[in-house]
Amino acid sequence: MARLRATFWFALALGVLLEAMLVAAILFWPEFLENLSSIRAMAKDLPVLGDEVLAKIDEQGFPAYVLVQHFFKGCNALGTAAAVLFAAPAIAGEAHRGTLELFLARPYSRARLLSERWLSGALALTLPVVLTSLSVPYLGECVNEYESYGPYLACALHQSLFLLAIYALTFLGSCLSANPTRVALVALFVCVFQFAIYMVKHVTHLSLFRLCDMAVLMPLHEDGRWNAAIVGALVLTIGAAYAASVFVFRRRCP
Amino acid sequence: MSAAGVIQSAGLTRRFGTNVAVKPFELTVGPGGITVLLGPNGSGKSTLLRMLLGLVPRDAGTATIDGVPLAGDGRTVRTRATYLPGELHVYGELTARAHLAWCVRGRDARALERACALATHFGLPLERRVRAFSHGMKRQLLLAAALAPAVPVRVLDEPTEGLDPTHRAQVLELLRADAERGTTLLVSSHHLGEVERAATRELFLRQGELLDEAAARVLHQRARESLRLVFASAPTRVGLERALTGRTLELTLDEQRATLFFPAGDGLECLRLLLAARELPPLRSVVYGELSLAELYRLLYGVEGV
Repeated sequence: MARLRATFWFALALGVLLEAMLVAAILFWPEFLENLSSIRAMAKDLPVLGDEVLAKIDEQGFPAYVLVQHFFKGCNALGTAAAVLFAAPAIAGEAHRGTLELFLARPYSRARLLSERWLSGALALTLPVVLTSLSVPYLGECVNEYESYGPYLACALHQSLFLLAIYALTFLGSCLSANPTRVALVALFVCVFQFAIYMVKHVTHLSLFRLCDMAVLMPLHEDGRWNAAIVGALVLTIGAAYAASVFVFRRRCP
Repeated sequence: MSAAGVIQSAGLTRRFGTNVAVKPFELTVGPGGITVLLGPNGSGKSTLLRMLLGLVPRDAGTATIDGVPLAGDGRTVRTRATYLPGELHVYGELTARAHLAWCVRGRDARALERACALATHFGLPLERRVRAFSHGMKRQLLLAAALAPAVPVRVLDEPTEGLDPTHRAQVLELLRADAERGTTLLVSSHHLGEVERAATRELFLRQGELLDEAAARVLHQRARESLRLVFASAPTRVGLERALTGRTLELTLDEQRATLFFPAGDGLECLRLLLAARELPPLRSVVYGELSLAELYRLLYGVEGV
Protein backbone atom coordinates (compact mmCIF):
# COMPACT_ATOMS: atom_id res chain seq x y z
CA MET A 1 0.00 0.00 0.00
CA ALA A 2 2.80 2.38 0.92
CA ARG A 3 4.60 1.48 -2.26
CA LEU A 4 1.46 2.11 -4.32
CA ARG A 5 1.06 5.45 -2.60
CA ALA A 6 4.68 6.34 -3.36
CA THR A 7 4.21 5.28 -6.98
CA PHE A 8 1.12 7.47 -7.22
CA TRP A 9 3.00 10.51 -5.93
CA PHE A 10 5.88 9.86 -8.32
CA ALA A 11 3.42 9.58 -11.21
CA LEU A 12 1.72 12.79 -10.14
CA ALA A 13 5.07 14.57 -9.92
CA LEU A 14 6.00 13.33 -13.40
CA GLY A 15 2.64 14.50 -14.76
CA VAL A 16 2.94 17.94 -13.16
CA LEU A 17 6.48 18.41 -14.49
CA LEU A 18 5.54 17.32 -18.00
CA GLU A 19 2.49 19.57 -17.99
CA ALA A 20 4.47 22.52 -16.67
CA MET A 21 7.06 22.10 -19.42
CA LEU A 22 4.31 21.72 -22.00
CA VAL A 23 2.47 24.85 -20.87
CA ALA A 24 5.67 26.87 -20.92
CA ALA A 25 6.60 25.56 -24.38
CA ILE A 26 3.18 26.23 -25.90
CA LEU A 27 2.88 29.72 -24.44
CA PHE A 28 6.32 30.45 -25.90
CA TRP A 29 5.23 29.27 -29.38
CA PRO A 30 4.19 32.70 -30.83
CA GLU A 31 7.51 34.23 -29.83
CA PHE A 32 9.40 31.19 -31.13
CA LEU A 33 7.57 31.41 -34.47
CA GLU A 34 8.39 35.09 -34.74
CA ASN A 35 12.09 34.37 -34.28
CA LEU A 36 12.23 31.04 -36.11
CA SER A 37 14.16 32.34 -39.13
CA SER A 38 16.81 33.88 -36.88
CA ILE A 39 17.04 30.70 -34.80
CA ARG A 40 17.43 28.63 -37.97
CA ALA A 41 20.16 30.91 -39.20
CA MET A 42 22.02 30.55 -35.91
CA ALA A 43 21.61 26.75 -35.85
CA LYS A 44 22.22 26.06 -39.52
CA ASP A 45 25.63 24.49 -38.91
CA LEU A 46 24.48 22.37 -36.00
CA PRO A 47 23.91 18.74 -36.98
CA VAL A 48 20.44 17.26 -36.42
CA LEU A 49 19.07 20.36 -34.67
CA GLY A 50 19.62 22.75 -37.59
CA ASP A 51 18.99 20.59 -40.62
CA GLU A 52 16.34 18.26 -39.20
CA VAL A 53 14.50 19.63 -36.20
CA LEU A 54 14.23 23.32 -36.98
CA ALA A 55 13.66 22.67 -40.68
CA LYS A 56 10.74 20.42 -39.82
CA ILE A 57 9.24 22.96 -37.42
CA ASP A 58 9.56 25.64 -40.09
CA GLU A 59 7.80 23.38 -42.54
CA GLN A 60 5.09 21.82 -40.33
CA GLY A 61 4.53 24.56 -37.76
CA PHE A 62 2.89 24.06 -34.38
CA PRO A 63 2.47 20.22 -34.43
CA ALA A 64 6.18 19.68 -35.17
CA TYR A 65 7.09 22.16 -32.45
CA VAL A 66 4.93 20.30 -29.91
CA LEU A 67 6.32 16.91 -30.96
CA VAL A 68 9.84 18.16 -30.33
CA GLN A 69 9.11 20.06 -27.14
CA HIS A 70 6.73 17.64 -25.46
CA PHE A 71 7.63 14.20 -26.75
CA PHE A 72 11.25 14.37 -27.81
CA LYS A 73 12.45 16.75 -25.13
CA GLY A 74 10.00 16.42 -22.23
CA CYS A 75 8.90 12.80 -22.35
CA ASN A 76 12.19 11.39 -23.54
CA ALA A 77 14.24 13.20 -20.92
CA LEU A 78 11.91 13.08 -17.92
CA GLY A 79 10.15 9.90 -18.99
CA THR A 80 13.40 8.00 -19.37
CA ALA A 81 14.53 9.08 -15.92
CA ALA A 82 11.13 8.11 -14.49
CA ALA A 83 11.23 4.72 -16.25
CA VAL A 84 14.58 3.98 -14.66
CA LEU A 85 13.55 5.28 -11.25
CA PHE A 86 10.31 3.27 -11.25
CA ALA A 87 11.93 0.04 -12.42
CA ALA A 88 15.35 -0.05 -10.73
CA PRO A 89 14.16 -0.48 -7.12
CA ALA A 90 11.17 -2.71 -7.96
CA ILE A 91 12.84 -6.01 -7.04
CA ALA A 92 16.47 -5.07 -6.37
CA GLY A 93 15.20 -2.57 -3.79
CA GLU A 94 13.42 -5.36 -1.89
CA ALA A 95 16.56 -7.47 -1.96
CA HIS A 96 18.69 -4.50 -0.92
CA ARG A 97 16.57 -3.68 2.12
CA GLY A 98 16.18 -7.39 2.96
CA THR A 99 12.40 -7.52 2.61
CA LEU A 100 12.36 -9.77 -0.46
CA GLU A 101 11.91 -12.87 1.71
CA LEU A 102 8.90 -11.32 3.42
CA PHE A 103 7.57 -10.20 0.04
CA LEU A 104 7.82 -13.74 -1.36
CA ALA A 105 6.51 -15.53 1.75
CA ARG A 106 2.91 -14.45 1.18
CA PRO A 107 0.51 -16.94 -0.43
CA TYR A 108 0.77 -15.50 -3.94
CA SER A 109 2.53 -16.77 -7.00
CA ARG A 110 5.73 -15.03 -7.98
CA ALA A 111 4.26 -14.26 -11.39
CA ARG A 112 1.43 -12.37 -9.71
CA LEU A 113 3.71 -10.50 -7.33
CA LEU A 114 5.96 -9.47 -10.19
CA SER A 115 3.09 -8.56 -12.51
CA GLU A 116 1.43 -6.35 -9.89
CA ARG A 117 4.65 -4.48 -9.41
CA TRP A 118 5.42 -4.29 -13.12
CA LEU A 119 1.97 -3.01 -14.01
CA SER A 120 1.79 -0.39 -11.27
CA GLY A 121 5.10 1.07 -12.43
CA ALA A 122 4.11 0.87 -16.10
CA LEU A 123 0.85 2.71 -15.42
CA ALA A 124 2.62 5.33 -13.33
CA LEU A 125 4.98 5.90 -16.23
CA THR A 126 2.56 5.97 -19.16
CA LEU A 127 -0.52 7.65 -17.71
CA PRO A 128 1.19 11.04 -17.20
CA VAL A 129 2.53 10.89 -20.78
CA VAL A 130 -0.91 10.14 -22.23
CA LEU A 131 -2.84 12.58 -20.05
CA THR A 132 -0.49 15.50 -20.57
CA SER A 133 -0.48 14.85 -24.34
CA LEU A 134 -4.26 15.10 -24.36
CA SER A 135 -4.01 18.63 -23.00
CA VAL A 136 -2.17 19.87 -26.12
CA PRO A 137 -5.31 20.77 -28.14
CA TYR A 138 -6.72 22.71 -25.19
CA LEU A 139 -3.45 24.58 -24.62
CA GLY A 140 -3.07 25.16 -28.38
CA GLU A 141 -6.25 27.23 -28.36
CA CYS A 142 -4.51 29.69 -26.05
CA VAL A 143 -2.07 30.50 -28.87
CA ASN A 144 -4.64 30.25 -31.67
CA GLU A 145 -3.57 26.80 -32.79
CA TYR A 146 -6.47 24.39 -33.25
CA GLU A 147 -5.58 20.72 -33.06
CA SER A 148 -7.51 17.49 -32.56
CA TYR A 149 -6.86 14.94 -29.78
CA GLY A 150 -6.43 11.79 -31.92
CA PRO A 151 -2.98 12.44 -33.41
CA TYR A 152 -1.54 13.40 -30.04
CA LEU A 153 -3.02 10.29 -28.44
CA ALA A 154 -1.35 8.15 -31.13
CA CYS A 155 1.98 9.89 -30.52
CA ALA A 156 1.58 9.47 -26.76
CA LEU A 157 0.99 5.74 -27.23
CA HIS A 158 4.11 5.42 -29.36
CA GLN A 159 6.08 7.40 -26.80
CA SER A 160 4.69 5.16 -24.05
CA LEU A 161 5.86 2.06 -25.89
CA PHE A 162 9.34 3.52 -26.14
CA LEU A 163 9.45 4.39 -22.45
CA LEU A 164 7.99 1.00 -21.54
CA ALA A 165 10.83 -0.69 -23.41
CA ILE A 166 13.34 1.19 -21.27
CA TYR A 167 11.24 0.42 -18.19
CA ALA A 168 10.99 -3.30 -19.00
CA LEU A 169 14.73 -3.65 -19.61
CA THR A 170 15.55 -1.81 -16.38
CA PHE A 171 13.00 -3.97 -14.55
CA LEU A 172 14.79 -7.06 -15.85
CA GLY A 173 18.02 -5.63 -14.46
CA SER A 174 16.25 -5.11 -11.14
CA CYS A 175 15.19 -8.78 -11.11
CA LEU A 176 18.80 -9.83 -11.63
CA SER A 177 20.40 -7.54 -9.07
CA ALA A 178 20.34 -6.78 -5.36
CA ASN A 179 21.67 -3.26 -5.83
CA PRO A 180 19.06 -0.78 -7.11
CA THR A 181 21.54 2.08 -7.27
CA ARG A 182 23.81 0.16 -9.59
CA VAL A 183 20.88 -0.83 -11.82
CA ALA A 184 19.69 2.79 -11.99
CA LEU A 185 23.15 4.18 -12.70
CA VAL A 186 23.85 1.69 -15.49
CA ALA A 187 20.43 2.31 -17.09
CA LEU A 188 20.77 6.09 -16.79
CA PHE A 189 24.29 6.03 -18.21
CA VAL A 190 23.10 4.05 -21.23
CA CYS A 191 20.16 6.40 -21.76
CA VAL A 192 22.21 9.59 -21.41
CA PHE A 193 24.83 8.16 -23.77
CA GLN A 194 22.14 7.30 -26.31
CA PHE A 195 20.63 10.76 -25.97
CA ALA A 196 24.05 12.35 -26.41
CA ILE A 197 24.92 10.51 -29.61
CA TYR A 198 21.59 11.57 -31.10
CA MET A 199 23.12 14.99 -31.62
CA VAL A 200 26.34 13.68 -33.22
CA LYS A 201 26.07 13.75 -36.99
CA HIS A 202 27.84 10.55 -38.02
CA VAL A 203 26.47 8.32 -35.28
CA THR A 204 23.03 9.82 -34.77
CA HIS A 205 21.47 6.88 -36.62
CA LEU A 206 22.80 4.56 -33.89
CA SER A 207 20.89 6.32 -31.14
CA LEU A 208 17.92 4.49 -29.64
CA PHE A 209 16.13 7.82 -29.45
CA ARG A 210 15.77 7.58 -33.25
CA LEU A 211 12.94 5.18 -32.41
CA CYS A 212 10.91 8.00 -30.95
CA ASP A 213 11.90 11.24 -32.63
CA MET A 214 10.15 13.63 -34.93
CA ALA A 215 10.90 11.54 -38.02
CA VAL A 216 8.85 8.72 -36.50
CA LEU A 217 6.18 10.76 -34.74
CA MET A 218 5.42 13.23 -37.55
CA PRO A 219 3.94 10.68 -40.00
CA LEU A 220 1.94 9.25 -37.11
CA HIS A 221 0.62 12.68 -36.26
CA GLU A 222 -0.06 13.73 -39.84
CA ASP A 223 -1.90 10.76 -41.20
CA GLY A 224 -1.88 8.08 -38.55
CA ARG A 225 0.89 6.02 -40.15
CA TRP A 226 2.41 3.75 -37.50
CA ASN A 227 5.94 2.58 -38.16
CA ALA A 228 5.27 -1.14 -37.96
CA ALA A 229 8.92 -2.12 -37.73
CA ILE A 230 9.61 0.19 -34.81
CA VAL A 231 6.37 -0.55 -32.99
CA GLY A 232 6.93 -4.27 -33.53
CA ALA A 233 10.47 -4.05 -32.18
CA LEU A 234 9.33 -2.07 -29.13
CA VAL A 235 6.45 -4.45 -28.36
CA LEU A 236 8.77 -7.42 -28.81
CA THR A 237 11.37 -5.87 -26.51
CA ILE A 238 8.76 -5.16 -23.83
CA GLY A 239 7.29 -8.66 -24.09
CA ALA A 240 10.69 -10.38 -24.08
CA ALA A 241 11.97 -8.32 -21.17
CA TYR A 242 8.78 -8.98 -19.18
CA ALA A 243 8.95 -12.73 -19.89
CA ALA A 244 12.62 -12.79 -18.94
CA SER A 245 11.79 -10.92 -15.71
CA VAL A 246 9.15 -13.52 -14.81
CA PHE A 247 11.59 -16.34 -15.60
CA VAL A 248 14.41 -14.80 -13.56
CA PHE A 249 12.11 -13.89 -10.67
CA ARG A 250 10.80 -17.47 -10.44
CA ARG A 251 14.34 -18.69 -9.75
CA ARG A 252 15.32 -15.79 -7.54
CA CYS A 253 16.52 -16.49 -3.99
CA PRO A 254 15.63 -13.98 -1.27
CA MET B 1 -0.42 -41.71 8.08
CA SER B 2 -2.82 -38.93 7.13
CA ALA B 3 -1.12 -36.05 5.34
CA ALA B 4 -3.07 -33.39 7.25
CA GLY B 5 -0.68 -31.08 9.03
CA VAL B 6 2.35 -33.14 8.01
CA ILE B 7 5.54 -31.79 6.47
CA GLN B 8 7.29 -34.37 4.33
CA SER B 9 10.34 -34.07 2.17
CA ALA B 10 12.44 -36.52 0.23
CA GLY B 11 15.80 -35.74 -1.29
CA LEU B 12 15.49 -31.96 -1.16
CA THR B 13 18.78 -30.59 -2.36
CA ARG B 14 20.15 -27.10 -2.84
CA ARG B 15 23.53 -26.03 -4.17
CA PHE B 16 25.03 -22.57 -4.12
CA GLY B 17 27.84 -22.77 -6.64
CA THR B 18 29.98 -25.72 -5.60
CA ASN B 19 28.69 -25.67 -2.03
CA VAL B 20 25.88 -28.11 -1.27
CA ALA B 21 23.83 -26.20 1.31
CA VAL B 22 21.29 -28.98 1.83
CA LYS B 23 22.05 -32.61 1.00
CA PRO B 24 19.31 -35.12 0.23
CA PHE B 25 17.54 -36.80 3.17
CA GLU B 26 14.07 -37.94 4.18
CA LEU B 27 12.10 -35.84 6.63
CA THR B 28 8.65 -36.20 8.17
CA VAL B 29 7.39 -33.66 10.69
CA GLY B 30 4.04 -33.64 12.44
CA PRO B 31 1.12 -33.74 12.54
CA GLY B 32 1.11 -31.33 15.44
CA GLY B 33 3.89 -30.68 17.96
CA ILE B 34 6.92 -28.44 17.97
CA THR B 35 9.82 -29.84 16.02
CA VAL B 36 13.02 -27.92 16.50
CA LEU B 37 15.73 -27.91 13.90
CA LEU B 38 19.13 -27.36 15.47
CA GLY B 39 22.41 -26.59 13.85
CA PRO B 40 25.23 -24.08 13.81
CA ASN B 41 25.41 -21.21 11.35
CA GLY B 42 25.75 -22.43 7.79
CA SER B 43 24.33 -25.86 8.58
CA GLY B 44 21.49 -25.41 6.08
CA LYS B 45 18.60 -24.85 8.51
CA SER B 46 17.28 -21.67 6.93
CA THR B 47 17.81 -22.96 3.40
CA LEU B 48 15.86 -26.11 4.24
CA LEU B 49 12.98 -24.11 5.75
CA ARG B 50 12.92 -21.75 2.78
CA MET B 51 13.00 -24.65 0.32
CA LEU B 52 10.03 -26.31 2.01
CA LEU B 53 8.00 -23.17 1.29
CA GLY B 54 9.34 -22.57 -2.20
CA LEU B 55 11.18 -19.41 -1.20
CA VAL B 56 14.46 -20.89 -2.35
CA PRO B 57 14.12 -22.98 -5.51
CA ARG B 58 15.28 -26.56 -5.00
CA ASP B 59 17.74 -28.35 -7.23
CA ALA B 60 16.23 -31.76 -6.57
CA GLY B 61 13.78 -33.60 -4.36
CA THR B 62 10.13 -33.40 -3.42
CA ALA B 63 8.16 -32.01 -0.50
CA THR B 64 4.58 -31.81 0.66
CA ILE B 65 2.93 -29.67 3.31
CA ASP B 66 -0.48 -30.70 4.59
CA GLY B 67 -0.71 -33.08 1.64
CA VAL B 68 -0.04 -30.35 -0.91
CA PRO B 69 3.02 -30.99 -3.05
CA LEU B 70 5.67 -28.32 -3.45
CA ALA B 71 5.38 -27.41 -7.12
CA GLY B 72 6.28 -24.44 -9.26
CA ASP B 73 7.03 -21.45 -7.08
CA GLY B 74 5.35 -23.02 -4.04
CA ARG B 75 2.24 -20.81 -3.92
CA THR B 76 -0.10 -23.67 -2.99
CA VAL B 77 2.22 -24.80 -0.22
CA ARG B 78 2.34 -21.27 1.17
CA THR B 79 -1.44 -21.20 1.42
CA ARG B 80 -1.08 -24.04 4.00
CA ALA B 81 1.78 -22.59 5.99
CA THR B 82 3.01 -19.32 7.39
CA TYR B 83 6.66 -18.36 7.63
CA LEU B 84 8.73 -16.25 9.98
CA PRO B 85 12.02 -15.15 8.38
CA GLY B 86 15.19 -15.55 10.40
CA GLU B 87 16.63 -12.26 9.22
CA LEU B 88 14.68 -9.28 10.45
CA HIS B 89 13.87 -6.76 7.75
CA VAL B 90 10.63 -4.80 7.75
CA TYR B 91 8.91 -1.99 5.90
CA GLY B 92 9.85 0.78 8.31
CA GLU B 93 7.59 3.35 6.69
CA LEU B 94 4.45 1.35 7.59
CA THR B 95 2.64 1.45 10.91
CA ALA B 96 2.53 -1.83 12.82
CA ARG B 97 -1.14 -2.29 11.88
CA ALA B 98 -0.48 -1.62 8.18
CA HIS B 99 2.49 -3.96 8.27
CA LEU B 100 0.41 -6.74 9.79
CA ALA B 101 -2.30 -6.13 7.18
CA TRP B 102 0.32 -6.38 4.43
CA CYS B 103 1.75 -9.60 5.89
CA VAL B 104 -1.58 -11.40 6.28
CA ARG B 105 -2.97 -10.28 2.92
CA GLY B 106 -4.36 -13.37 1.19
CA ARG B 107 -4.99 -15.22 4.47
CA ASP B 108 -8.32 -15.93 6.17
CA ALA B 109 -10.69 -13.06 6.90
CA ARG B 110 -9.99 -12.87 10.63
CA ALA B 111 -6.20 -13.17 10.38
CA LEU B 112 -5.64 -9.43 10.72
CA GLU B 113 -7.86 -9.22 13.78
CA ARG B 114 -5.91 -12.05 15.44
CA ALA B 115 -2.57 -10.56 14.37
CA CYS B 116 -3.48 -7.22 15.95
CA ALA B 117 -4.61 -8.99 19.11
CA LEU B 118 -1.29 -10.86 19.29
CA ALA B 119 0.68 -7.67 18.69
CA THR B 120 -1.27 -5.98 21.47
CA HIS B 121 -0.57 -9.00 23.68
CA PHE B 122 3.14 -8.40 23.01
CA GLY B 123 2.63 -4.77 23.96
CA LEU B 124 3.36 -3.36 20.50
CA PRO B 125 1.94 0.07 19.62
CA LEU B 126 -0.15 -0.61 16.51
CA GLU B 127 -0.25 2.95 15.23
CA ARG B 128 3.48 3.61 15.47
CA ARG B 129 5.74 3.32 12.45
CA VAL B 130 7.77 0.13 12.43
CA ARG B 131 11.06 1.99 11.85
CA ALA B 132 10.86 3.16 15.47
CA PHE B 133 10.68 -0.44 16.75
CA SER B 134 13.55 -2.20 18.48
CA HIS B 135 14.94 -5.48 17.14
CA GLY B 136 12.84 -7.49 19.58
CA MET B 137 9.67 -5.55 18.75
CA LYS B 138 10.18 -6.20 15.05
CA ARG B 139 10.59 -9.91 15.79
CA GLN B 140 7.34 -9.86 17.77
CA LEU B 141 5.54 -8.03 14.98
CA LEU B 142 6.55 -10.64 12.42
CA LEU B 143 5.72 -13.40 14.89
CA ALA B 144 2.23 -11.97 15.30
CA ALA B 145 1.83 -12.05 11.51
CA ALA B 146 3.11 -15.64 11.34
CA LEU B 147 1.00 -16.96 14.24
CA ALA B 148 -2.28 -15.26 13.34
CA PRO B 149 -3.46 -16.98 10.14
CA ALA B 150 -5.49 -20.17 10.46
CA VAL B 151 -3.12 -22.63 8.79
CA PRO B 152 -2.15 -26.20 9.70
CA VAL B 153 1.61 -25.60 9.53
CA ARG B 154 3.96 -22.84 10.64
CA VAL B 155 7.62 -22.63 9.72
CA LEU B 156 9.51 -20.33 12.07
CA ASP B 157 13.16 -19.44 11.62
CA GLU B 158 14.69 -18.42 14.96
CA PRO B 159 11.42 -17.18 16.52
CA THR B 160 12.99 -16.13 19.81
CA GLU B 161 16.24 -14.65 18.52
CA GLY B 162 16.80 -11.15 19.94
CA LEU B 163 14.04 -11.40 22.56
CA ASP B 164 14.60 -10.84 26.24
CA PRO B 165 13.93 -13.80 28.61
CA THR B 166 10.43 -12.57 29.51
CA HIS B 167 9.30 -12.21 25.92
CA ARG B 168 11.06 -15.44 25.00
CA ALA B 169 9.02 -17.29 27.60
CA GLN B 170 5.88 -15.54 26.33
CA VAL B 171 6.59 -16.68 22.78
CA LEU B 172 7.34 -20.25 23.83
CA GLU B 173 4.04 -20.30 25.69
CA LEU B 174 2.22 -19.15 22.56
CA LEU B 175 3.97 -21.80 20.47
CA ARG B 176 2.99 -24.49 22.97
CA ALA B 177 -0.62 -23.34 22.93
CA ASP B 178 -0.61 -23.29 19.14
CA ALA B 179 0.82 -26.83 19.03
CA GLU B 180 -1.81 -28.01 21.49
CA ARG B 181 -4.49 -26.80 19.08
CA GLY B 182 -3.01 -29.22 16.54
CA THR B 183 -0.80 -26.91 14.49
CA THR B 184 2.47 -28.37 13.27
CA LEU B 185 5.40 -26.11 14.12
CA LEU B 186 8.79 -26.50 12.52
CA VAL B 187 11.18 -24.16 14.29
CA SER B 188 14.87 -23.50 13.95
CA SER B 189 16.86 -22.42 16.98
CA HIS B 190 20.29 -21.99 18.50
CA HIS B 191 19.11 -22.18 22.10
CA LEU B 192 19.43 -25.67 23.50
CA GLY B 193 17.87 -24.87 26.85
CA GLU B 194 14.92 -23.24 25.20
CA VAL B 195 14.59 -26.20 22.87
CA GLU B 196 14.44 -28.62 25.76
CA ARG B 197 11.62 -26.64 27.33
CA ALA B 198 9.46 -26.30 24.25
CA ALA B 199 10.30 -29.01 21.74
CA THR B 200 8.42 -32.22 21.27
CA ARG B 201 11.12 -33.37 18.87
CA GLU B 202 14.63 -32.26 17.98
CA LEU B 203 16.40 -32.61 14.67
CA PHE B 204 20.09 -31.93 14.19
CA LEU B 205 21.53 -30.56 10.99
CA ARG B 206 25.16 -30.07 10.11
CA GLN B 207 26.62 -29.06 6.77
CA GLY B 208 23.30 -29.80 5.10
CA GLU B 209 22.95 -33.28 6.54
CA LEU B 210 20.37 -34.53 9.00
CA LEU B 211 21.88 -36.46 11.88
CA ASP B 212 20.47 -39.84 12.80
CA GLU B 213 17.72 -38.94 15.26
CA ALA B 214 18.20 -41.84 17.70
CA ALA B 215 21.95 -41.22 17.96
CA ALA B 216 21.34 -37.52 18.46
CA ARG B 217 18.88 -38.23 21.25
CA VAL B 218 21.37 -40.44 23.09
CA LEU B 219 24.14 -37.88 22.73
CA HIS B 220 21.88 -35.03 23.72
CA GLN B 221 20.92 -36.98 26.83
CA ARG B 222 24.61 -37.46 27.50
CA ALA B 223 25.16 -33.75 27.08
CA ARG B 224 22.89 -33.17 30.02
CA GLU B 225 25.31 -35.15 32.18
CA SER B 226 28.06 -32.64 31.69
CA LEU B 227 29.93 -30.14 33.77
CA ARG B 228 31.53 -27.07 32.22
CA LEU B 229 34.12 -25.37 34.35
CA VAL B 230 36.16 -22.22 33.92
CA PHE B 231 39.14 -21.93 36.27
CA ALA B 232 40.99 -18.77 37.27
CA SER B 233 44.13 -20.28 35.69
CA ALA B 234 44.78 -23.37 33.57
CA PRO B 235 44.48 -26.57 35.62
CA THR B 236 46.51 -29.68 34.80
CA ARG B 237 44.85 -32.81 33.48
CA VAL B 238 46.67 -34.83 36.15
CA GLY B 239 45.35 -32.52 38.86
CA LEU B 240 41.77 -32.88 37.65
CA GLU B 241 42.02 -36.65 37.33
CA ARG B 242 43.58 -36.92 40.78
CA ALA B 243 40.76 -34.86 42.30
CA LEU B 244 38.25 -37.24 40.75
CA THR B 245 40.05 -40.49 41.37
CA GLY B 246 37.79 -43.50 41.10
CA ARG B 247 35.14 -41.72 39.01
CA THR B 248 34.22 -42.71 35.47
CA LEU B 249 34.46 -39.62 33.36
CA GLU B 250 35.58 -38.11 30.09
CA LEU B 251 37.55 -34.93 30.23
CA THR B 252 38.41 -32.28 27.63
CA LEU B 253 40.74 -29.49 28.64
CA ASP B 254 41.27 -26.21 26.80
CA GLU B 255 43.51 -23.91 28.89
CA GLN B 256 41.25 -22.61 31.70
CA ARG B 257 38.17 -24.38 30.38
CA ALA B 258 37.35 -27.98 31.22
CA THR B 259 34.35 -30.03 30.13
CA LEU B 260 33.58 -33.26 31.95
CA PHE B 261 31.01 -35.93 31.16
CA PHE B 262 29.68 -38.28 33.78
CA PRO B 263 28.18 -41.42 32.31
CA ALA B 264 27.44 -42.57 35.86
CA GLY B 265 25.28 -39.50 36.45
CA ASP B 266 27.17 -38.40 39.57
CA GLY B 267 28.12 -34.93 38.34
CA LEU B 268 27.14 -33.10 41.50
CA GLU B 269 29.25 -35.37 43.66
CA CYS B 270 32.18 -34.79 41.30
CA LEU B 271 31.64 -31.06 41.53
CA ARG B 272 31.84 -31.29 45.31
CA LEU B 273 35.17 -33.13 44.99
CA LEU B 274 36.50 -30.53 42.55
CA LEU B 275 35.58 -27.68 44.85
CA ALA B 276 37.35 -29.45 47.71
CA ALA B 277 40.54 -30.19 45.70
CA ARG B 278 43.27 -27.87 46.95
CA GLU B 279 45.72 -28.38 44.09
CA LEU B 280 43.29 -26.99 41.50
CA PRO B 281 43.02 -23.25 40.74
CA PRO B 282 39.87 -21.50 42.00
CA LEU B 283 36.74 -21.86 39.87
CA ARG B 284 35.31 -18.88 38.04
CA SER B 285 32.15 -20.45 36.67
CA VAL B 286 30.31 -23.76 36.70
CA VAL B 287 27.56 -24.87 34.33
CA TYR B 288 25.96 -28.21 34.98
CA GLY B 289 23.89 -30.14 32.50
CA GLU B 290 23.72 -27.81 29.51
CA LEU B 291 26.12 -27.65 26.62
CA SER B 292 26.57 -24.97 24.01
CA LEU B 293 25.53 -25.95 20.53
CA ALA B 294 29.18 -26.00 19.48
CA GLU B 295 30.06 -28.42 22.26
CA LEU B 296 27.08 -30.60 21.52
CA TYR B 297 28.20 -30.72 17.91
CA ARG B 298 31.68 -31.68 18.98
CA LEU B 299 30.01 -34.59 20.69
CA LEU B 300 27.68 -35.40 17.85
CA TYR B 301 30.23 -35.28 15.09
CA GLY B 302 33.52 -35.55 16.86
CA VAL B 303 34.91 -32.47 15.13
CA GLU B 304 36.10 -29.05 16.26
CA GLY B 305 35.11 -25.65 15.02
CA VAL B 306 31.53 -26.26 14.06
